[in-house]
Amino acid sequence: MNNRLRVLRAERRWSQADLAERLGVSRQTVNAIETGKYDPSLPLAFSIARMFELKIEDVFHPNGVSGS
Amino acid sequence: MTANCPPLFTERDARAYRNFAGWMTAAMVAFGAATILLDGRLIPDAAGWALTAGTVILMIVAMHSYMGFLRGADELLRKVHLEALAFAFGAGIVAMMGYRLCERLGAPKMDVNDAALVMMICWIGGQWIGSRRYAAEEEQQ
Repeated sequence: MNNRLRVLRAERRWSQADLAERLGVSRQTVNAIETGKYDPSLPLAFSIARMFELKIEDVFHPNGVSGS
Repeated sequence: MTANCPPLFTERDARAYRNFAGWMTAAMVAFGAATILLDGRLIPDAAGWALTAGTVILMIVAMHSYMGFLRGADELLRKVHLEALAFAFGAGIVAMMGYRLCERLGAPKMDVNDAALVMMICWIGGQWIGSRRYAAEEEQQ
């Protein structure tokens, strides 16, 4: 699954640690999601989307499908 | 989150893991002491039973604290630990069953503690492998 997490985070000038703290996860979890090493659970994916005030499909999309 | 936490651990995870490590250490010390005292018949039977019960209770508390840590853990940390547990369980089964065949070929008898040791080493190794697999790269803004 691809995601726009790094771009969205950079737009808000949040560090990985900032985002991790807001989400209540470790910095390594944020990093692993950004680098595509780990796909988040559905509750965490929803939390991330809510954090950026976007729909989940605006943040995450299947491999080969480009995001908005 | 603080600089004291490894990147895979939240502050809550680190606290829960320290709690588990404390109970685990206490259980291992009690197990070592009980083994020495019971093997050498250095204490009366009643005290031996009490020491055994105390050691088992400490092990159960350690197991319970690990379950609590795992339930509340950050989801990536939980994945790393579950993969490590699966690796340790599989390696333990392979070691036990494989060595049973080796015993039939004349290898010395294996103690149950040896299999437990294999599982513990593989559990720790599995955690290391998992944390390397998902290791955080340098942050890019």
